[in-house]
Amino acid sequence: MEKLVICRCEEVTLADIKDTVAKYECSAREVKLRTRAGMGYCGGRMCRTSVDAVLHEIKGEKPGNEIPLNIKPPVRPVSLSSLGGQS
Amino acid sequence: MNNRIVNHPVLGDLENKKKITFTYDQKTLQGYEGDTIASALLANGIRLLRVHEESGKPRGIYCNIGHCYECRMTVNDTSGVRACLTELKEGMIIESGKIQPLPFARKTDADDMPRTYAEFSKKCKSNKEEGSHV
Repeated sequence: MEKLVICRCEEVTLADIKDTVAKYECSAREVKLRTRAGMGYCGGRMCRTSVDAVLHEIKGEKPGNEIPLNIKPPVRPVSLSSLGGQS
Repeated sequence: MNNRIVNHPVLGDLENKKKITFTYDQKTLQGYEGDTIASALLANGIRLLRVHEESGKPRGIYCNIGHCYECRMTVNDTSGVRACLTELKEGMIIESGKIQPLPFARKTDADDMPRTYAEFSKKCKSNKEEGSHV
C-alpha cells in the first residue's frame, strides 16, 4: 500500500507523501511544492484529489482552493503552437 | 496481427474496415480505419507507449479518455500527442517516449562542498571531533 503511486507524472508514492507530512507537518499545498505531486505533465488533474484525500485522512485538512498557487487544473491543455500556428 | 474480438455475442461481427499502415519505432504495423493510436498498438500486442523520462519505468494506457497524458507519444515529429485520443492516419510515424538525460550529473565532489557558512563551520567542527586533520 505504501508503494502505491499517487502522482504518476512525477512518480510520488503514498509513502513519500506520508513521510513529507510527518517530517514537515505540512499542508496539501506544501506537499505539492516539496514532493512535486501534481506538478507534472497532466497538471494535477489525476492526483490532486488523491493528495487532498490523503491529507484529509492523516491530518484532517479540508481540501480548499482559496490559497494562491493552489490547484487550477487546465480544462484542456492547449499547446502554444495551436494558439500561434505552426508552419 | 490480431488481438481483436472478431465475433462478439452482443456486438456482433467486426466489420471489415480499411487497413492503415503506420510506423511505430521503425516497425511497420497495420491497424484499421477508426482506430486510435493506442488501440491499433494494443491490437498489435504493444502495451508500452512510453517510459518515465527520469526513471525509465514503463507506461501504457491509463485513463484512456485524454486526462492523464500517460500515453503521450511523438507523432510525425510533434511531441505530447495522446495516443488514446488521436485517430490513426495512413503513414503516421509514431515514436514511443524515451528516457531523457538528467540536467545535472548525479553526484560530483562539488556536491560535498559546503554551500553556506553554517555548513562550513559544522564541517570544520565534525572534522575536529574526528581528529583526522590538524
